[in-house]
Amino acid sequence: MGSKTATSLTPESTADDTSITSRTSTLLRLVALTPKLFEDYALLTWLVGVVAVLSLLPLARLVAEGIAPGGTLSTDAIARVLASPTTWTATGHSLLTAFGGTLLAVLVGTAVALCVGLTDIRGRNAVVFCFVMPLLIAPQVVALAWLQSFGPSSPLLKMLGAAPAMGSRNPLYSAGGIILVLGVQYAPLVFLTLRAALRTLPQELIEAALAGGAPPRRVLRTIVLPLMTPPLLAGIALSFVSCLGNFGIPALLGIPGNYVVLPTLIYQRLAGLGPGVLSEVAVLSMLIGAIAVLGIVAQESMLRRRDFRISAATIAARPFELRRLRLPTEVALWTLIGIVLVLPLCALVLTSLVPAVGVSLSAATATLDNFRFVLFDHAAARRAFVNSFGLSATAAVVIVAFAIPLAYFLVWRRSRLLRAVNLVTEIPYAVPGVVLAIAAILLFLKPLPLVGVTLYNTVWIILFCYLARFLVLGLRPVVAGYHQLDRTLEEASQIAGARLPRRLRTVIVPLVAPTAAAGALLIFLTAFNELTLSALLWSSGSETLGVVFFSFQQGGDSTYAAALGVLTVIVSVALMLSTLLVAKRLPPGVLPWRD
Amino acid sequence: MGSVSRRAFMSALALAAMAAAGPAPAQDVKGKLVLYTSQPERDAAQTVAAFRKAHPGVDVEVFRSGTTEVMGKLAAEFAGGQPKPDVLLIADAASMEALKNDGRLQPYPEAKVDGLAPGSFDPGKTYFGSKLITTGIAVNTAAKSRPASWADLAKPEYKGQIAMPSPLYSGAAAIMLGTMTTRPDLGWSFFEKLKADDAVAVRGNGAVLTAVASGEKAYGVLVDFMAFNAKAKGSPIDFVFPAEGLPAVTEPVAMLKTAQNPAAARAFVDFILSDEGQKLASSMGYIPARASVGMPSWYPAGAKINLMPTDIAKVVQSNSDNLKRFAELFGK
Repeated sequence: MGSKTATSLTPESTADDTSITSRTSTLLRLVALTPKLFEDYALLTWLVGVVAVLSLLPLARLVAEGIAPGGTLSTDAIARVLASPTTWTATGHSLLTAFGGTLLAVLVGTAVALCVGLTDIRGRNAVVFCFVMPLLIAPQVVALAWLQSFGPSSPLLKMLGAAPAMGSRNPLYSAGGIILVLGVQYAPLVFLTLRAALRTLPQELIEAALAGGAPPRRVLRTIVLPLMTPPLLAGIALSFVSCLGNFGIPALLGIPGNYVVLPTLIYQRLAGLGPGVLSEVAVLSMLIGAIAVLGIVAQESMLRRRDFRISAATIAARPFELRRLRLPTEVALWTLIGIVLVLPLCALVLTSLVPAVGVSLSAATATLDNFRFVLFDHAAARRAFVNSFGLSATAAVVIVAFAIPLAYFLVWRRSRLLRAVNLVTEIPYAVPGVVLAIAAILLFLKPLPLVGVTLYNTVWIILFCYLARFLVLGLRPVVAGYHQLDRTLEEASQIAGARLPRRLRTVIVPLVAPTAAAGALLIFLTAFNELTLSALLWSSGSETLGVVFFSFQQGGDSTYAAALGVLTVIVSVALMLSTLLVAKRLPPGVLPWRD
Repeated sequence: MGSVSRRAFMSALALAAMAAAGPAPAQDVKGKLVLYTSQPERDAAQTVAAFRKAHPGVDVEVFRSGTTEVMGKLAAEFAGGQPKPDVLLIADAASMEALKNDGRLQPYPEAKVDGLAPGSFDPGKTYFGSKLITTGIAVNTAAKSRPASWADLAKPEYKGQIAMPSPLYSGAAAIMLGTMTTRPDLGWSFFEKLKADDAVAVRGNGAVLTAVASGEKAYGVLVDFMAFNAKAKGSPIDFVFPAEGLPAVTEPVAMLKTAQNPAAARAFVDFILSDEGQKLASSMGYIPARASVGMPSWYPAGAKINLMPTDIAKVVQSNSDNLKRFAELFGK
């Protein structure tokens, strides 16, 4: 019953829909080239050009270095890397942890999104707020907190008298541990993408099904989940690429057990002093890029199987009443938040309050010295707050403003070129940050041709890398948003004579605003903590939070690092809360933590 | 023939002129100096501040990161044809040796090396150890027994209790591996015993410190200054100088052939090796390369630390074989 309703709403297949533009021969198109179309093509050319510069150029430069070091073509590095058994061990491990982490992230993220988006649980905004916060804590901090929470030094287990003996092997030092922490870390990616899309779920469909006697479980299976396929696939793709490219978690949990994945293998090569390091790094990066692209191709082929558009002018569905299940659901949600947020946060706060690692916290030992040092004695930390905020906010705004027109073409004007464009945006996010940084150095070391300006050693090279790396974080949610839109409104305004820029501004932007805002938030939160890119690219005055954090941790000053981490969370939470002040002026659904 | 001899004559003349000018007096050095370093944040800031006090005319631009990150950035700059730094101050001599073999370092024959610990600088005068960072055994104060030697760590009572930095991810740890495996009293069998004792190799010294100080592991193979700095701040940690001796890295300083400001680069090398620069290292908690300036406060009074000599050239040569063997051994 329910399934019939859903399919009758989306009778036409997408292929038919786009065939008119994509299958017309170029000649005919040229004949019909009106100024309006010309404008569209100019915009499209510009968009494709920007993606090529951001996503393709740096890594192409690195690959050129890899296969032709110093300008002479050589396949030595490729042969050497591909012949090494370690490469294939690491590839297998990477695939296993990326699939495992994605599966867990999707299960957790989807469950929480459905509870928050569809049911009548209390305190929904607080749940949303708390569930996205783990994105603010750098992955390696989360991993460390988990390690300590379940190890011999766990304050919690010590209190319960259940701490394992000193030296017992921590169960998190394993593939399972890596998968667990990756899954928890990236569940908010799936959650945010779905949460934004659930707002557009049409009330009439659900109510019709319920009135027809369908039990809620069947409504979920036959209406909600099918309609949520695009954002769900977007979330899967994002978390897959995130798990694949993550370095911090396998570095902490994998190295002790000698469980090597591709990003840690790249780091090994960089640390190994061998000649021709860049070549091997380039080849290994190509391998990661290829896996990411294959992942997204699989996602696309699933998307093409059917159409998921829903009528745009819809009222949010009335929440399912959970009745007797409401309290257990709420308890389960808050327990989850306790594990994924409160646990690491507590570990962070505890470490920030003691004078040195290993000192147990008591009234006598507690100190604010770490905070004082970070805030007042260390000028770089303050600069880093300003820099990181400026860089992340700029990256978020620029990327989303760019992703909206780009996604318009990606979803509604499909072509082979656009499909390729869609794929290459994944690559800079999938390779480890250190690789993208090296690629950017190769690209920007010398002054730019024609203009003669040097970006190297300025804050602009970091911004360039942020735009390249985080483009996909903004693009995926926006593309998913388009997939759910019914195009009739846009077509109506086109017939009425509105040109593309105007249609984008007045029709499309308001419709995709919630998913675009979710994307912007993902970018901001991820970039605010970013570490590996700026570790190679910063220069005096352009420190980011990640650089300062990394310096502290590496020098063994984990208490300073913890204090900086706590301050980062406080500042970000304050920023997130302050958005509530302007919430009334924003389109509905833009802030995920406001109903 | 004639032109060759003329060129030789000209360069001899130029050399003579340079020799006559001698090292430039301090007040004449000015301009921008670009320093790439892997020193800990605070040490880097103090070093630069002290250097600028001695040479107020020089503006120092610093890039600080982990050794791997610094070397990665440098490799990209070499590949792009525009290395930026004038001087390097990085953790281990093996990285310097690799740069030297690539012909990237500028020899500085006039550097004052008298009084420096033997073996702490390159005989070809391209890089000079600024300090001696030894690696010994860190012990959590709650640990049941105290090892007196490296060989002790292989005993069954230490099973599952040892953390060490992985040579696969840390250049300093790779030097340690290269040094210890060539010793007849330790050799590869020592590492095989460590593996049999379930020792874990973590990413770097910072991770070893966290593991031992927090009580996750009772013992750690750790550099001296990190253990003593943490101890001074109150961490429950002690440091043992093993009887067989301690391998050491030297945090060498070197100038690049491509230095834009060679005068300032030489002044920086001079400063690091000077009594003043060495005293600064000692006050920051390091054993200075020039013993005469005095030892750091944690140094056991009157003791003589037994250093394990390292043949850097040999370590670099055998490095990739060592790493492969280590990865196989600990990968099981």
